[in-house]
Amino acid sequence: MTTYSHVEPFPHDEHEHHGPPAPHYSSRITPAVLGMFLFIGSEIMLFGAFFTAYFFIRVVNGVPWPTPPYHLPIYVAFINTCILVTSSFTMHWALQSVKRGNHWGLRAGLLLTFLMGLTFLISQAREYSRVGFSPQNGAFATIFYCLTGLHGAHVFVGLSILLLMTIRAFRGHFDAEHHHGVEIGGIYWHFVDVMWIVVYTTVYIL
Amino acid sequence: MRNPLRTEAAAFRFLLVVIVGAAVIVACAAVNEWLGVAAALAVIGGIVWWLRR
Repeated sequence: MTTYSHVEPFPHDEHEHHGPPAPHYSSRITPAVLGMFLFIGSEIMLFGAFFTAYFFIRVVNGVPWPTPPYHLPIYVAFINTCILVTSSFTMHWALQSVKRGNHWGLRAGLLLTFLMGLTFLISQAREYSRVGFSPQNGAFATIFYCLTGLHGAHVFVGLSILLLMTIRAFRGHFDAEHHHGVEIGGIYWHFVDVMWIVVYTTVYIL
Repeated sequence: MRNPLRTEAAAFRFLLVVIVGAAVIVACAAVNEWLGVAAALAVIGGIVWWLRR
């Protein structure tokens, strides 16, 4: 029986190992990245279920959105959108910095990203307290809280990841060759931003 | 089909594409809601085409 325990699935030097990787590894993608893809795939299905409910309510009910007399804080949400999109730029800057060996750029980028994400979350919580309706006030209110709350939960998870990444960056765990942790967190953060663009466009503007 | 989230740089590019696409849909929907629907279909089709290139 052949064992593959001696085979390093992702050798640092491509000339180090020839032939296929170990059976439980992909030759194209690392387990960490594959795990993130599967996670994001499940997230897309989760958001898809809520968006289906949202479109069902809007199309079937045929009533104005948001249901009178309620109003959505479009401009506050727009400022929040700008903050979140900017945080993606700082995230990208952080990764580009570490790739060039600029540790201070990495630290500043991650810290700024974290602070902007935190600002977004606090602002959303404040918006909830002032919006004037609660999830019990009909299907419109329920789906509004479900979609924005689901996204807010993802921002919270992203902030937790960012906090760990920032602490690790300040401890010098990343360098130009080893920054996989920043790459994975960055993919998740951009995904959260993409979902917010879709949520903001459909729920607040259209 | 390319994975738009394969790397951080690819995910960042995808975010920019989504922002532009959303802006186009909103602008068209402001003119006419059916134009907005058409723009949404065109943008989604365009993104799928871009990912399949």
